[in-house]
Amino acid sequence: MAFCIIFLTLILGAFGEEFIEEIFIKPLPPTHLYSYFQFITLVDTESFVHSNLAPRSIGEVISRFQVDELHMTLTEGQWRHSQWGYPVLDAAPGAELYAWFNPEVKDIDLEWRKLSATLSGLFCASLNFIDSFNTITPQMALWPTGAVKSNLNVTTLLRYASLPREIVCTENLTPWKKLLPCESSRGFSALLNSRMIHNTNYHSIGVHVRKVCASEDCTETKLEIKQTVALVYDYKIIGSNDWSFRKLFGHGLPGACPLATSSIIHVDITSNTSYPFQLSPMPDKVVQSRRGGSDLKLAVYEIDASVEMINIGVKHSTKEKLSVIIPPPLHFNRYVLGYGKEFGGIVTELVNNYWTAIDVVVLENAPWWLPIQLSSLRINSEAESKLVKSQYYSPGRSRQKPYHLELLLKLPPRSTTTITIDFEFVFLKWQEYPPDANHGFYIGSAIIAANLPTAKNYTSLPVTGINYHSTINASQSWYPAVFRTNGAMVSLPTPDFSMPYNVICLACTVVALAFGPLHNICTKELILKPVGTPLSLTQKILNFFKRKKE
Amino acid sequence: MWWLHIGCIFISLSTFTPYSLGVEIPEKFQKSNHTNNWAVLVDTSRFWFNYRHVANVLSIYRSVKRLGIPDSQIILMISDDMACNPRNPRPATIFNNAHEQINVYGDDVEVDYRGYEVSVENFIRLLTGRVPPDTPRSKQLLTDEGSNILIYLTGHGGDGFLKFQDSEEVTSQELADALEQMWQKRRYNEIFFIIDTCQASSMYEKFYSPNILATASSLVGEDSLSHHVDSAIGVYIIDRYTYYVLEFLENVHTNSQKTMTEFLAVCPKSACLSTVGVRRDLFKRDPSKVPITDFFGSVRPVVITTNTIDIMDIPKRKKTEIENRTKVLEKRKYLPQFPMHLVQGSTQ
Amino acid sequence: MAVIVKYLIAGLVRYWLIHLDYWQTIANRVEIATPLNSWKRLVEGVYLYDHNINPYEGDSFHESPIMLVIFHCLLKRVPYLLPLLFTVLDLLTAYLLYQTSKSFMKIFIESQKKQKNDIADESKPMLLNETQLNEATEYVLSVYLFNPYSVLNCAGMTTTVVQNLLVAASLWNASNGRGILACIFIALATHQALYPVLLIVPIAILLADVNKGCNKCSYIRTLLAFVLCWGFFIYISAYIMDGSYNYVHNTYGFILTVPDLKPNIGLFWYFFTEMFEHFRLLFVCAFQINALALYVVPLTLRFKKEPVLLATVLIALSTIFRSYPCIGDVGFYLALLPMWKHLFTFMQQKFIVGCAFIITSALGPTVWHLWIYSGSANANFFFGVTLSFATAQIFLITDLLFAYIKREFTLKHGSSRQVEGKPAKLVLR
Repeated sequence: MAFCIIFLTLILGAFGEEFIEEIFIKPLPPTHLYSYFQFITLVDTESFVHSNLAPRSIGEVISRFQVDELHMTLTEGQWRHSQWGYPVLDAAPGAELYAWFNPEVKDIDLEWRKLSATLSGLFCASLNFIDSFNTITPQMALWPTGAVKSNLNVTTLLRYASLPREIVCTENLTPWKKLLPCESSRGFSALLNSRMIHNTNYHSIGVHVRKVCASEDCTETKLEIKQTVALVYDYKIIGSNDWSFRKLFGHGLPGACPLATSSIIHVDITSNTSYPFQLSPMPDKVVQSRRGGSDLKLAVYEIDASVEMINIGVKHSTKEKLSVIIPPPLHFNRYVLGYGKEFGGIVTELVNNYWTAIDVVVLENAPWWLPIQLSSLRINSEAESKLVKSQYYSPGRSRQKPYHLELLLKLPPRSTTTITIDFEFVFLKWQEYPPDANHGFYIGSAIIAANLPTAKNYTSLPVTGINYHSTINASQSWYPAVFRTNGAMVSLPTPDFSMPYNVICLACTVVALAFGPLHNICTKELILKPVGTPLSLTQKILNFFKRKKE
Repeated sequence: MWWLHIGCIFISLSTFTPYSLGVEIPEKFQKSNHTNNWAVLVDTSRFWFNYRHVANVLSIYRSVKRLGIPDSQIILMISDDMACNPRNPRPATIFNNAHEQINVYGDDVEVDYRGYEVSVENFIRLLTGRVPPDTPRSKQLLTDEGSNILIYLTGHGGDGFLKFQDSEEVTSQELADALEQMWQKRRYNEIFFIIDTCQASSMYEKFYSPNILATASSLVGEDSLSHHVDSAIGVYIIDRYTYYVLEFLENVHTNSQKTMTEFLAVCPKSACLSTVGVRRDLFKRDPSKVPITDFFGSVRPVVITTNTIDIMDIPKRKKTEIENRTKVLEKRKYLPQFPMHLVQGSTQ
Repeated sequence: MAVIVKYLIAGLVRYWLIHLDYWQTIANRVEIATPLNSWKRLVEGVYLYDHNINPYEGDSFHESPIMLVIFHCLLKRVPYLLPLLFTVLDLLTAYLLYQTSKSFMKIFIESQKKQKNDIADESKPMLLNETQLNEATEYVLSVYLFNPYSVLNCAGMTTTVVQNLLVAASLWNASNGRGILACIFIALATHQALYPVLLIVPIAILLADVNKGCNKCSYIRTLLAFVLCWGFFIYISAYIMDGSYNYVHNTYGFILTVPDLKPNIGLFWYFFTEMFEHFRLLFVCAFQINALALYVVPLTLRFKKEPVLLATVLIALSTIFRSYPCIGDVGFYLALLPMWKHLFTFMQQKFIVGCAFIITSALGPTVWHLWIYSGSANANFFFGVTLSFATAQIFLITDLLFAYIKREFTLKHGSSRQVEGKPAKLVLR
């Protein structure tokens, strides 16, 4: 059996394909647990005539629409940065899709629409609702994570859209799992039991495709297809803060996927010092990681394909104790101002807890039915703020284009920066309202790209890294991260949906009220017409009866 | 009552004969000239209190999938998210009864149209094949003249219409015209049309295209009733008609020889509290001779050939352009993940 | 002296309102500010222009580029003077209307003298004397200065203030026979809001009447001058926008296709909110024809002897039926009505119309608040109010026209309503 596996991997290695599965588990004391899965397939060939491990459907999408880099996430719930720190990959609530196209693509917008329609079929999501009216081209916030040709203006090749209303459920997970070489029968993906992972505070599935360097000088590239799952469990739902695979996923881990070159589980045990716990079974090794001023202790399990059921878990030795949550260096909040359905405002609060200034790009993306007024932009109540280093604004157009504002800000040390911008509610046509018009309308989250000077709470992979191991001792001068704020919701004023005929009739009547007399005045002339003495009502009635008798 | 009699014979046959007999298809069962099976399953109601309609449509989905129609040939339309609805105490599940016997949502479900996508326009476009050019295959009804289609609709209806999403409606005439267009475009061989709404039979009364067998959970003037409530979920869980249909279909296997007649008699008035309507004048075959798997499964007659077939001569795949092109070695690099060039006074 | 006091009080009231804490509320009222004329949108447009973003790329600005440049200068250089400027402009409008009515009264007296022979003897006392006419001009001034509609319009600092000024200036110039100036002003007004294009007809007639001579030559001259001016302004605007005519979509296109359905006092918003998509184009065309073209020819043929009446009626009709009307427009034509004070005795629905104006003006803001802020009413309530407001205005205008033809009849045939000794009544046939 073991020989078979080695043989298989060798063959696959010869084809230049590689499959890696990894889990990263991090307790988010005091009440939550973060688990992050990534399944990485590295493919050598760019044309998908034949593939052994890589999902062919993704490969076809990539080559057909000439996509250089693709990110798609489907998320339910809101990542709470101030409490939970930073995730490995952040995602906007609902569906989010962005892609860089090949510079040879002639009509990017057309390909973009085709891409979103195809992905909607592939992942059972309503991504086909992406159109020009909710697509933007971020100028500063998003940069390709893959290797790109030098001297290329990558921003023009980018398209971004998010659908905050999108729901995420089993029907999205099912096709997602089918892309994996072991599907859900073996390996880490066997843990992804729909009933368990949808019973979490936050769950996000994603597909990320990029090109990574395959050679030293980066003249050769490989395609990296990374499938991720991020889950945040609430200890309240699990029942206690002693977690185990059985509690989290319904059953233990039935061994690694035989097709994987490496199957590694990392458990962040740094919090062991403040919340002592016992890990079982014992890890294969414990790694110390020092990265940008933060020390981490990671327990590492290397899982074998031949292994029996494993149930990794944690038992806390002491009773629960409460502690103050230390917020990460940068966190943020977003909310809607105003009352009534006429005018309102969006506020984005950015808190810098760190002792140096932090550069951030804030991308506000308001749908067309929520027109923002740039002239009302205030940063800390100032119209012209010195914090703004660069600004980009693309005004929206009704039913065609969203409002898109990007600000490059330098957040002063230990400060709170408030960005306010006013909007006006739009009155839609009655057929443009969704069936549940009074449910409210979702505003997508803002993107915040930060250049963090410290790796505190930072869990992301370095841009050159592929597996999670690359984060260990990966000190850099900057730690770039892209976050999403929470979304918001407004309720637009609604017309009476049952009125169309009445309104049409009434308004036309009023027009006729003008037309009739004016027509008379213009076409007729006044004359005197003799009249008899006016009859009283009784006489009229009598006359009426008389006529009848006759 | 003669057809009931035959039905009884078949039940007795299937109970007494061993399974191996199922492989040999009885002669009269081979008469269907369909080559593939499709299913269009639509739930048209939005909002949590219509949980039962989602349970209805998923019951049928579960059955047809179990009986062998692949996901690629099932078009499932669900108007609202009940499984992962925040009000659902058990996320990612939808049950057919309060004892939680069957999770009709399952672990393997592919919803093709969901949420706001379920509209009258999309439904009619799907049936008639007039979809926008970029529509993915999973959202298209790629049927041909050999296709047997099962159409199942559930939601809130009235005399002559079916409401979609509580905001628009499809009328029986529009539906009949859509089916006629399908017939003219040779998009089906036979259609089995099931509808579970109030006054359901009004929806098929206007049909005028051939080869359609239609059944409805209630006649005009009758309400279709729900089966029971689950106090943990807090809403009615499933409708009576579909509940008994699922009960019936759970006992049907790919090899079983039950006929459509049995299916049409599945919910007597004592159980349904409404009269199940059937329309068979457009359908050429005798329902008592039509196996249920003609619509609910994907059982096809297999022809065994003894001739040798040369498979060596496979046409070679054309070499793609990319391979022909001489590879230009181009240096790539990772970009900084932040617009450093715009940050003034920064080092790096 | 009294006149100066009037100006002073009116000016102070306006200036005070602009500096009131509630100014924002006034400037944002749906009845006062429409997407076309609101101060907020003007500021946004200027802000975008200042930041080198084309304001016509988005959907937030619908003024003409000429206005954009002027207000860009003003907002950059002398933002503190703007409240004063708006007040002064509005007072100037009042002054011009006053002067217009004076010139018109002169014309009126002349035409009355000419007609004297056709007038029945018993109707002779109905002819107007100088004092009555002078009184009317005073009323024109007062109505414009103190009409709450005009006052609030000015206080909201809408661009309708400028629009009113331009229309008033062109009427004034026309009534004094200055053809070119009248054409320039009306072309500017047309360039800004399209609907004043109707006024070129009464202005052409008025000019021909004032400058006696070849009528047809005069018409052609006026029309030509107008078209040239308008074309010139369109070209200048494109020049301002670096040679691009895209702004037309955001100005005339916006007015004509009615994409913004924010409620206002007009008929369009709810009608097109509730319109079925496949009928939208048909009804947009129908409504715009109704506002722009339908009544011009018949009314001109009927009232070609009375160009000022024609102008009043056309302004009023285009106000009622335009896509984004505001109370500033209503205030403007209401100020013209006192010129027809002598017709008021022949009007039948004065009381109804007056009551309707008062009631709808009070109910409008109330039901708006109930709908938008407290959520206890719905759109139908506000629609009902705007509908009755439009009805009241229509009654007012048709009543005025009926009054005019009745007076004409009475002057000619005497005030006795008898045919061969039998009682008779006036009917249209």
